[in-house]
Amino acid sequence: MAEIPEDNVLLKMTGITKIFPGVTALKNVDFEVKYGEVHALVGENGAGKSTLIKILGGLYRPDGGEMLFEGKKVFFSDTHQAQLYKIAVIYQEFNLIPDLSVAENIFVGREPKTPGRLFINWRKLNAEAKKILDMLDINLDPRKFVSDLSVAERQMVEIAKALSLDARLIIMDEPTATLTEKEVVKLFEIINELKKQQVSIIYISHRLEEAFKLSERITVLRDGEKIGTKNTSQANQDEIVSMMVGKVVKDYFAGEKISESKKEALLEVKNYTIADQVYDINFKLYRGEILGFAGVLGSGIHHMLRSIYGAAPRTKGEIFFNDKKVLIKNTNDAIKLGIGFVTEDRKGEGILYDMSVMQNLTIIVIKALTFLKGMFVKPANEKKVFAQASKDLDIKFADLNQRIIFLSGGNQQKVIIGRTLISNCKVLILLEPTRGIDVGAKAEIHRIMRELANKGISIILSSSELPELVNLTDRCLVLYKGKMVAEFNRQNMDEEALVAAQIGQKINQA
Amino acid sequence: MVKFLKLYEKIGIFILIVFAGIFLAIASPNFLKVDTILNIITQGTYGVIVGFGMVLAITSGGFDLSVDAVVGLTSVFLSLLIPNIGIPSAIILSILISCFVGFLNGLIITKFGVNPLITTLSMATIIRGASLLIAKGRQIPISVEKFTVIGTGKLIGVPNPIWIMLVLFIMFFLLLNQTPYGRHICAIGSNESAARISGLNVTFVKIMVYVLVSFTASINGVIRTSQAMIGIPSMAPGFTLLVITITILGGTSLSGGKGNLIGAVFAGIFISMIYYGLNLIGVQYFYQLLSVGLVLLFALFVDGLRKRYLETAKIKGIKV
Repeated sequence: MAEIPEDNVLLKMTGITKIFPGVTALKNVDFEVKYGEVHALVGENGAGKSTLIKILGGLYRPDGGEMLFEGKKVFFSDTHQAQLYKIAVIYQEFNLIPDLSVAENIFVGREPKTPGRLFINWRKLNAEAKKILDMLDINLDPRKFVSDLSVAERQMVEIAKALSLDARLIIMDEPTATLTEKEVVKLFEIINELKKQQVSIIYISHRLEEAFKLSERITVLRDGEKIGTKNTSQANQDEIVSMMVGKVVKDYFAGEKISESKKEALLEVKNYTIADQVYDINFKLYRGEILGFAGVLGSGIHHMLRSIYGAAPRTKGEIFFNDKKVLIKNTNDAIKLGIGFVTEDRKGEGILYDMSVMQNLTIIVIKALTFLKGMFVKPANEKKVFAQASKDLDIKFADLNQRIIFLSGGNQQKVIIGRTLISNCKVLILLEPTRGIDVGAKAEIHRIMRELANKGISIILSSSELPELVNLTDRCLVLYKGKMVAEFNRQNMDEEALVAAQIGQKINQA
Repeated sequence: MVKFLKLYEKIGIFILIVFAGIFLAIASPNFLKVDTILNIITQGTYGVIVGFGMVLAITSGGFDLSVDAVVGLTSVFLSLLIPNIGIPSAIILSILISCFVGFLNGLIITKFGVNPLITTLSMATIIRGASLLIAKGRQIPISVEKFTVIGTGKLIGVPNPIWIMLVLFIMFFLLLNQTPYGRHICAIGSNESAARISGLNVTFVKIMVYVLVSFTASINGVIRTSQAMIGIPSMAPGFTLLVITITILGGTSLSGGKGNLIGAVFAGIFISMIYYGLNLIGVQYFYQLLSVGLVLLFALFVDGLRKRYLETAKIKGIKV
């Protein structure tokens, strides 16, 4: 390891500027990381965080400014060079090869060879991988295929890979976005372990609490500019949030709670079972209520809700809609009944990449916006529906023929919620509706949910963000390993109780 | 670069045609005659008509490599059926048989989840084999003279194939851009999982796409057979690649979700102009093959560039 210089600075970026045609992504940004420091990088979507880390990772070349790494001036023209300097970036979309084993992924391109260098020395490969995993206290079989791993496990493999490259600086882009509470705890342990080994970490997250829990310093970016760097111990959340959004925001999360539900069951699910996922689930959804579902990975909630929507099979169980037994064989059946579904996987099964904002919004109802007996789309009708929905949901776009991929994550999410809403749904199933979107858009989606519930639409909300559940829902059901273990209502719901129930601890219910 | 690609997307193919036109006008005194131009366009229609179908297939995220085989199949059935059941019925029946091939393609791709490339490639071989079997390996002459009108006749001075292309263009244009069905094709090509979650009938939409591709291939078969007045089981070898070239050069994105029918028309005419130019300098057929390959590579290159620059642009929300 290189000598640690006096100022203790591992990475120093000065005056970094990056210009894309038509937009300046980074303006004269200074940024530094010290040895063994966790430096949190926060900012709303589009603030320039991704651009900055892509420059560090060698994906982009800066248009101005310079970088000093371990005191030497460096310039990365590609990702390989960044690796040579021991910088590892763990992107939100992992760069692992699913059909290779954990060990192969960790040492990909650098596999230990048998004498003669012709074949891979499998025994050594697996042993070395095990050693690294052990060092991080990760309990994982190196021979397992990555395709069989959970998201959390894949992330740990990425970290192990970074460590095997003897990384001095690890950049983590939203590492906890898809993790459960328990896995987050594990990740934090690993981060602390890395810190002890004098590895520096740039930690990017939408979740401010995490930045506060982990980091030594926090740097805020907004619109491509650095707003400031604070010592975490001297900063508070409200201050950081107002730096991020550029105006003073107080308690961005809380809102008034919605009125009492009218105890009229709209949807009832009986004895719902999906083999290996959920067992014998019963619940009722009342009109105008927000019903929360909480559970850690393996709870089966997502599977169950998908299945209720007709997007996945079930083993047994009955669904009653308006007291009538219904059979939902596919998603179209559910839509016809008035059940809407917003996926947790916005990229994978939400947005239609090549289509415009308007076409994305109207895809479900397009058949109804026609003339000549459904033959042709009537543009006037489509525009009207779009105008109404974009106004209701406050979707921000440049023009309605703009491709959806150019909207921010929050606006994309609103389009997808809108897509479902205009299909005239009475039940709205939302899976992780605020995952990966910025603070402002999050608050708006919460507002939209409250408004919808007030209009009498029933909402099922599955979220891994417990404050969201506590603040928004009328009731909250907790599943653990496919079984319903607890039900909370307004009076007895709080974060601690939810956490306990999620991980299967017995709780005293009021 | 983004600006250039945007411009290319809009008018690139026109510029290519203008350049080719200027070149040909200088090289040949015959080029600027109405007959020559109509002839070039007519030659272009063969690929363009099937290109319409291919645009749908590629837009839906699929592919169809069986079109040349379907041309041959149509030809064989026409030559066998025309003497027995008359021209109109023979045409309708041949087209229906071809559409059934497309239906099988679609069924295998959707119900068994087989890759469209492999499915249609296997189908192409099967169909070729079947065509040769049915024709007993021979070429079957057609003696009903009236049949030749379809491919060689003219209406108001314009050759029939051009009219057929125009009618099909209007049909497919409306279908892709103005109907819910067309919207569904784009949605499936954009993101099939999202289309499923949105309650679209993915299976139906896709099967219909392959039926329509085979439909266009079989129309092409009718025109060719009527010009040749002979049923040829191995008609149009290598034709599929030409159709794909026209589709991609016309601006249809290889990754699906975005189809360009107008572009296909002009791409077809452009390639026809290249052929004309090559004939002019009297080079062999081999050079024609070579040139189509080169044009396809060029089109793929631009498509790849577009995708890459789009991704960069996406990161900072540049409008494209």
